[in-house]
Amino acid sequence: MDEEDPKEYRWETGYEKTWEVIQEDDDGFLEASVADIIQKSKRKRQALKQGHAKLGMMRHLYIVIDCSDSMSGQDLKPTRLLCTVKLMEAFIEEFFDQNPISQLGIIIMHNKRAEKISELAGNGRKHAKAVKALNRTSLVGEPSLQNGLELALKSLKLLPSHASREILVVMGSLTTCDPTDINVTIENLKTEGVRCCVIGLAAEVHVCRHLANETGGTYNVILEDSHYKDLLFQNVDPPPAAVCLESSLIKMGFPHQMATEGTEDPLTMCMCHIDSADEGSKLTTGGYYCPQCNSKYCELPVECRSCGLTLVSAPHLARSYHHLFPAANYKELPYEHQSAICFACQKSFIADNDKQVYECNNCKKIFCTDCDMFIHDTLHTCPGCATNLATFQMSHSSQ
Amino acid sequence: MMMDLEGSTEKSADFTNTDETSLLVIIMDSNPAQRILRENPHVLTQCVDSVIAFANAHLMQKAQNKLAVMACHSKLSEFIYPGPGKQLDVRQIDGQYEVFTLVEKTIKQNLAKILTSETSTVITESLLAGAIAMALCYIHRINRIKAPGLKLNSRILVVTGSGDSASQYMNYMNVFFTAQKQNVVIDVCALDQHLSLLQQGCDITSGMYLRVPQMQGLLQYLLWVFLPEPPIRQKLVLPPPVKVDYRAACFCHRELIDIGYVCSVCLSIFCKFSPICTTCHTVFKIPSLGVKPKKKKLKI
Amino acid sequence: MAETAESSTNVTLIQPSNLECKNLYDYLKTRSSAVLEKLYNHPTICLAVYRELPELGRQYVIRILFVEQPVPQAVVASWGSQAYSKEHVYVSKVLTELSVWLESPIPGGLTGWILSSTFKRNLKIALLGGGKPWSMSSALEVDSKARDVSFLDSYSMERWECVLHYMVGSQQQEGISADAVRILIHAGLMKCDDVDGSSVITRQGFQFLLLDRQAQVWHFILHYLDTVENKGLDLAECLTFLFQLSFSTLGKDYSTEGMSNGLLVFLQHLREFGLVYQRKRKAGRFYPTRLALNITSSQSQALLEEDTPKGYIVVETNYRVYAYTDSNLQVALLGLFTELLYRFPNVIVGILTRDSIRQALKGGITAEQIIGYLKQHVHPQMLRGEAKQPLPPTVVDQIKLWELERNRLTYSEGVLYGQFLSQNDFNVLREFAHTNGHLIWCNRDKRTMVVSKAGHDDVKKFWKRYSKANSSPHNLTEA
Repeated sequence: MDEEDPKEYRWETGYEKTWEVIQEDDDGFLEASVADIIQKSKRKRQALKQGHAKLGMMRHLYIVIDCSDSMSGQDLKPTRLLCTVKLMEAFIEEFFDQNPISQLGIIIMHNKRAEKISELAGNGRKHAKAVKALNRTSLVGEPSLQNGLELALKSLKLLPSHASREILVVMGSLTTCDPTDINVTIENLKTEGVRCCVIGLAAEVHVCRHLANETGGTYNVILEDSHYKDLLFQNVDPPPAAVCLESSLIKMGFPHQMATEGTEDPLTMCMCHIDSADEGSKLTTGGYYCPQCNSKYCELPVECRSCGLTLVSAPHLARSYHHLFPAANYKELPYEHQSAICFACQKSFIADNDKQVYECNNCKKIFCTDCDMFIHDTLHTCPGCATNLATFQMSHSSQ
Repeated sequence: MMMDLEGSTEKSADFTNTDETSLLVIIMDSNPAQRILRENPHVLTQCVDSVIAFANAHLMQKAQNKLAVMACHSKLSEFIYPGPGKQLDVRQIDGQYEVFTLVEKTIKQNLAKILTSETSTVITESLLAGAIAMALCYIHRINRIKAPGLKLNSRILVVTGSGDSASQYMNYMNVFFTAQKQNVVIDVCALDQHLSLLQQGCDITSGMYLRVPQMQGLLQYLLWVFLPEPPIRQKLVLPPPVKVDYRAACFCHRELIDIGYVCSVCLSIFCKFSPICTTCHTVFKIPSLGVKPKKKKLKI
Repeated sequence: MAETAESSTNVTLIQPSNLECKNLYDYLKTRSSAVLEKLYNHPTICLAVYRELPELGRQYVIRILFVEQPVPQAVVASWGSQAYSKEHVYVSKVLTELSVWLESPIPGGLTGWILSSTFKRNLKIALLGGGKPWSMSSALEVDSKARDVSFLDSYSMERWECVLHYMVGSQQQEGISADAVRILIHAGLMKCDDVDGSSVITRQGFQFLLLDRQAQVWHFILHYLDTVENKGLDLAECLTFLFQLSFSTLGKDYSTEGMSNGLLVFLQHLREFGLVYQRKRKAGRFYPTRLALNITSSQSQALLEEDTPKGYIVVETNYRVYAYTDSNLQVALLGLFTELLYRFPNVIVGILTRDSIRQALKGGITAEQIIGYLKQHVHPQMLRGEAKQPLPPTVVDQIKLWELERNRLTYSEGVLYGQFLSQNDFNVLREFAHTNGHLIWCNRDKRTMVVSKAGHDDVKKFWKRYSKANSSPHNLTEA
């Protein structure tokens, strides 16, 4: 999984016992070892995440899923595809939770063809439904990586210049069956500034490595399902902004629900359900009105269908702030009775169980392992800094 | 054949109690800089008494119910029940239930400790967002160590007389979204001013927001509005949720706007187009003719 | 000549007499209001009663706890939302039955609710303080040989299992007192064998064994309380003490100082069953155990503390049952409804079969009890999964189906009408019974029909009128 060192050839390096990375525990299980690897990489990634980096916040991501014959393999339980579908549903939810103003689209590859099953859009539920429907797809033929990439590129190309363009490929197959030279496609992706990440379910494939390296993405092969989940969820965080990404001010609308004083809301239809077949538009009172053209929508964020204005609410933007201003990383220290309890969760430290404790550089408070994880994964606010007036003002002024 | 597998269970079965445990974390603002406390310091005693009685009423609901109380003071926030260190050894002194006596004594003792250690008279804001962050960590731990299969409803009640300050906006939003994700309900009882930020938090986590009209009836307000756990609330008629104004305030003039411009790099909001972002110092390209190309129409 | 012959088709319904489990509410509701009033003089009982109220009821009580005037009934009704009005009616009924609140007229012709003043006063004392301390909380010096929670747990477990072991008649127990045996017999859990006077377990006894620990203790204590007055003890005093115990803190010692003689006797009984621990009879102090805590709460005690006892049973979808236990009692209990396959030092393996379940059902154990037992002792590993149910749903459903297939017959009382003289008479009467919903069964060829007992009078009257109106020579005679 490590990056190749370009200076020497693979056969010139020392003999590498790759299997020794994974160690059995006392009972002969591998789970602990794998959990350890995941944990370590998480911390490593966390350490890299430092504020003030330019990120591509308005993401446009195409997920390209392999639906070829090879996805019926049973090395993931119950099958590769079912496992993928399940993880993907969770991923989509998390993606929109963390990137509310981003968009997603889904493409499947089977029978040497690529097929778009869900257009680039900002509604998580639609995508989840499309992914769920994959359970019933027949897994036939070979995938065509090139066709999948081309299809994604075709619609990513048309996006405005400030949008961050990404493709995430889930490859179960070790081969790809392409109509022409895939290197041309990779070159095109590179010039368009599309970042391509690949998750391999079987083994490392050169073309995938090449694709990821060229476009500035990552390429990883999974160990087992929890590792798969971890790799997939890495893509929830917005990537660093591509070089060619232009910044601009985007016009947005902030609709409000407030009714005019003393009057009842009129019964109106919303624009979001107006042409959907399975649940038609109903007459309702509440809703969000586009400040530009007054079309009504029942949920945010949404792009106004009649005037094209992006409609969001302030908390949606706030939801993304933590990517830009992450909580400061903690220092790992061996436990030497620095504090009797964890500052945040009040757990009392026991020297035998808590070998490591974590210290915040700003407020010098001591935290336990679980809180360290929770604070940096979910909370994004250091409880120590946020409750101490001196450090609060310090961290606040630095932002 | 399958229709009556449940058998003819008791007619009253659906009305009886569920075996859900409820964890309540109360955050009490004890900052002496609050306006109501500066005008009349005795209000704090009344407030503490009401909160203790309310906390005990919560424990009285079910044997399994859990409680934690935090004080948010001018410079620090601390858990005052169950406090740090060993539990007090409490013997009954009157007819009060032993556990309730323990709660009352612990809270009063720990609070007194905080009050005496803090003597500065500088007016500072209460860092409620940080206190909520601590409470969330605490709830997260309780959730982790609870017996598998046990259902735990957690909620946080904030009792405060401070105003809310925009300087904590980011922290507030972080804790609200975390609470929402962890299914923790945030209730807010405002003693003095209207708190629009915390009200947003209530709305996001589907909690209750109440601004107490008068301090005299505080306990009664607490018992009426905040004692029912979220699952029972639907069975009771409680103050209806007000519509919360989620419009954004622009970073340049702090005014609520309907249409604004958002920086694609740092998501700062501006009410007018400006060539440079004041937050992240990014230089923007001038929009061509001021109209954004309609991407939807272009692609076929 | 038409003749209606009456014959009761099965008057007594063949229903196995099942173990009746009363909760505190059921127990108190049968007491007179005077007794309740006397009990409400103790804050502990008020607290226990309050916790047993339905959720909505608890909210109502707390809302009017600090209100001195009666609250109009319409106002109380408006507190609950419309969709739950049924629950409101039920809650009002419970509160009235327990004399927690009383009806009281309000000037202006309305009726209102007001909390019983004794209940209100004492609940306030429990919540806010005031009044006299409870009887067992005199100050104590620090116990030089203080007992920790795990010791108390194993002690109480051992004592209680003595009782259970005695019931299943296993040999390893040291025996229990004659008093305890009398209570078991009184409760109908055991009965005296006619032949040699030894006691044997009854059908209810088996059901009792399958209850969870908390319910067992409560059931047992209820029957003990029935006998308490014969022993010259004061029921109210004992009940108060019991609830004081139930609200005490595990791992803490309490003083016996100032306790009446009657209470000291009661304490010794509780000691025998393992509800309290005392080093010596005259130690002057005692420790309540987990058995005594929250004695009334009918829910399983899934507390947050890490030291609660863990389950040991794993049930697989293939009906296999693995039980990690070395206790003979637990093995014997499992053996009631599983076919045991293997036994190892720390684990036994069994399988749930139709025969084994039917065997248990024949013994009067219900499917609900079997499922309840498995659920309650389920291994923590089974709870960790994503599924909401700890037991495989197929197994649960199958056990219920096995029970249902035994109950294919439903019994209803009825009266047989027969020997009609003409088909027309039969048809008229059948039509009448049918339209009024009294007809249970009829046979056109044999001209017989069965009418429900409730409808018998109506049908008889109709028939009299019908035969008179037709002025036929027939007379109605009854057999």
